[in-house]
Amino acid sequence: MSQTEEEKLIGEVTAKSYEFGFTTDIDSDTIPPGLNEGVIRTISAKKNEPEWLLKWRLEAFRLWSEMEEPEWAHVNYPKLDLQSISYYSAPKQKKEIASLDEVDPELLKTMEKLGISIEEQKRLSGVAVDFVMDSVSVATSFKEKLGELGVIFCSLGEAIQEHPELVRKYMGTVVPQRDNYYAALNSAVFTDGSFCYIPKGVRCPMELSTYFRINQAGTGQFERTLLIADEGSYVSYLEGCTAPQRDENQLHAAVVEIVSMDEAEVKYSTVQNWYPGDANGLGGVFNFVTKRGLCHRAAKISWTQVETGSAVTWKYPSCILKGDDSIGEFFSVAVTNNMQQADTGTKMIHIGKRTRSTIISKGISSGHSQNSYRGLVQIHPGAENARNFSVCDSLLMTDTCGAHTFPYIEVKNPTAQIEHEATTSKIGEDQIFYCQQRGIEEEEAIGLIVKGYAKDVLNKLPMEFAVEAQKLLTISLEGSVG
Amino acid sequence: MSKFTNNFLAPSHGVELRNEALTLLSSLPVPTRRNERWKYSSVSKLINASLETYKGGEVGIEGWPKEINPNPVPQLEAYRIVFRNGVYEPTLSELPTFKGVVCMPLSSISEEQSKTLFSNKYHKTEWVGALNAAYYQDGFYLHVSKNIKLDRPIIVHHLTDGENVANFPRHFVRIDEGGEAEVVVWTTASQDSSGMCNSLFEASIAPNAQLFLEKITNEEGEIYSFAHDFIIQEADSRFKAHNFTIKGSWVRNELSIVSAGKGTDTIFNGAYLPCGNEHVDNHTTMDHTYPDGTSSELYRGIMYGKSTGVFNGKVFVRPDAQRTNAFQQNTNIVADRGASINAKPELEIYADDVKCAHGCTVGQFDLEALFYLKSRGLDENAARTLLVEAFIADVLSSVPNEALRNEIKRLYSERHHWS
Repeated sequence: MSQTEEEKLIGEVTAKSYEFGFTTDIDSDTIPPGLNEGVIRTISAKKNEPEWLLKWRLEAFRLWSEMEEPEWAHVNYPKLDLQSISYYSAPKQKKEIASLDEVDPELLKTMEKLGISIEEQKRLSGVAVDFVMDSVSVATSFKEKLGELGVIFCSLGEAIQEHPELVRKYMGTVVPQRDNYYAALNSAVFTDGSFCYIPKGVRCPMELSTYFRINQAGTGQFERTLLIADEGSYVSYLEGCTAPQRDENQLHAAVVEIVSMDEAEVKYSTVQNWYPGDANGLGGVFNFVTKRGLCHRAAKISWTQVETGSAVTWKYPSCILKGDDSIGEFFSVAVTNNMQQADTGTKMIHIGKRTRSTIISKGISSGHSQNSYRGLVQIHPGAENARNFSVCDSLLMTDTCGAHTFPYIEVKNPTAQIEHEATTSKIGEDQIFYCQQRGIEEEEAIGLIVKGYAKDVLNKLPMEFAVEAQKLLTISLEGSVG
Repeated sequence: MSKFTNNFLAPSHGVELRNEALTLLSSLPVPTRRNERWKYSSVSKLINASLETYKGGEVGIEGWPKEINPNPVPQLEAYRIVFRNGVYEPTLSELPTFKGVVCMPLSSISEEQSKTLFSNKYHKTEWVGALNAAYYQDGFYLHVSKNIKLDRPIIVHHLTDGENVANFPRHFVRIDEGGEAEVVVWTTASQDSSGMCNSLFEASIAPNAQLFLEKITNEEGEIYSFAHDFIIQEADSRFKAHNFTIKGSWVRNELSIVSAGKGTDTIFNGAYLPCGNEHVDNHTTMDHTYPDGTSSELYRGIMYGKSTGVFNGKVFVRPDAQRTNAFQQNTNIVADRGASINAKPELEIYADDVKCAHGCTVGQFDLEALFYLKSRGLDENAARTLLVEAFIADVLSSVPNEALRNEIKRLYSERHHWS
């Protein structure tokens, strides 16, 4: 491709503003910025929480105060002033919602723009949506149908009120308060999130889905998701996010905990499209997330993620394969453009016998972005016949971006079999040429090649998500070949 | 920390560098496991030891331990420069008298020659490096002039002999345009020796020049063996390195190569077969800063007993290094319960028109191959041995010099009871 054409195309892409950049005006009940014990007490009181949870939060705050912000990731960003963030904001009109008519029309409009109208979802896809606007859930559907099977799917706040024994038993068992800087912060100030419990032997009939949005200027999002799949159950959980355009950095420090009991299977899919900042790297969401699952005997946890947004991503969905014969999977497509930085990957901790894990990571970097894979495969001494297979491929679209691979492999058992391979290469000029020769425009050819490249991961997504993910891939990369 | 260096004596040459390093020594952090570069290799036991630098004694063959041959590869026709506890042994050495080649102990180079020295700044970034720069006693200096091809390899033999000995060899090699040389750095330690061998090897390879480097570690006793090799390659130069750890209680090999010119060619391979409680750490860095370079890396290891292996291979491709072709492979076998490997192959790529790949595996012997051999009448042990030999052969077979290759193989086979 000639230099001018290339520049033109790059120009077009960089000129493209964020598609989902709009804000909704809903009155919010926001507490003043700052973080101290008082703020945590306020959050806890506002949410009418039991004493043990307040103690748990305060302990997390104490641990957090002694921690330092981690700097090992391959990312560069201005340090956040955590005292300038407001740690609680809730839509004011909070009442029980029985039908969609009662939902704030503004909110419905937002959902429509996002293409996830609850009506539509209800009718067509059979997906139950727990819609999180800022920090408090305001709309939940299909609850009754799930209730019949004993499936609990609600906001975490609700679960704390109605199922305190389950929350107390499992919260913090997979991601303890002291786990890391941002997990500790989340534990101290989390406002809401999703809670899901699948009873013994139940195969959840529909895909459970939560859409997150950051909506209040200057509000950090501290979501906390707790998902418990009891013995022999199955659930597929979807999490997707879009965020409105904004010039100041927003922090998103979520925690996701999954407990997969004996022979249970959890499939957790994410499409992440937080605001990535503009072409000069101004604004954008900081996505510092801790996601981890614990597998008991013969359990399986499968993480699938499509990461296209956020200015800075710092995310390692992990599996602790504690039970014998348990399985962990990680499928990821991470796309970075402009000034985006992503440091993402997974950890597979093999503790049980005959545990297996698979890692497929596809990185696509463009613009001036930096895209890193960081992964750990750890085989403990007792993990007989453990097996891991990892592939990390990187595709480079311009000569100004970077693609990096940092796999850690720690093996303490002689029966383990670990394979890791990584390749980095430019998008194939011969492939583009071949497509063009057949009458396919360059732009389209690139889309085709990228989709083919990411196919292994996209195929793992549930259908609804796969469509959205493909759209996102195309939007994120149009014309960005170098 | 001053306690650790209390009994270290700094010779009088190279004062400028020493003073700089001494100042840095107090400010640089002592490696701990919290430091990413030292995550898997602890030096805490060493730091608490009370070591001293060699104060002199009997020289020549009289002072040399009987069980070790000053010439480690007798079959190899080679020049030789020998050091014991960091001190040059003229009577045991055989320096080249070859036109266009200067080879001598570092301590006796002229003012003029000292100007050709360069420093990779390792002493500015690492405590271990500062330690070497501050206290180095002697080393090997080689300068090969333009278009001169040295006729025989040079063996640099370094022996640590005695208890609680600290020694700091420092070697410099400079190959001018079109020149060629082969250097074998052989590190040994006598029975019951203990302490630290902290060595530095720096080489610059001018355009179209070539350097072959073979490093062999075969230490008895309990030595903390640090080696930092820094190679800078100019345009169209060739560098081929091999690293074999035959024996050593605690070994850390760092090899750092900078491709500072177009079209460089680099091959570096290594093998490690630690037994017992041994610890072998290989850190390699390949830094492509110019276009059209190729690099190929192959490291293989088998961890026996309760040993630990560490591999960290970094490949950098800088923004201007287009059309780089970099390949890295690390293959490990954890042979026994209690043994472990920590591998970390890394790629950092900032250019787009590149072909870079790495592969890393941890596994066992191929059961089918084992079965095949047994079906041909070999017993379990013999079949395994054969597979080990084959596993290491990929690294060994690329050593260009046959006599050297045979000696390395002999040492491995003696230690691991190969056929």
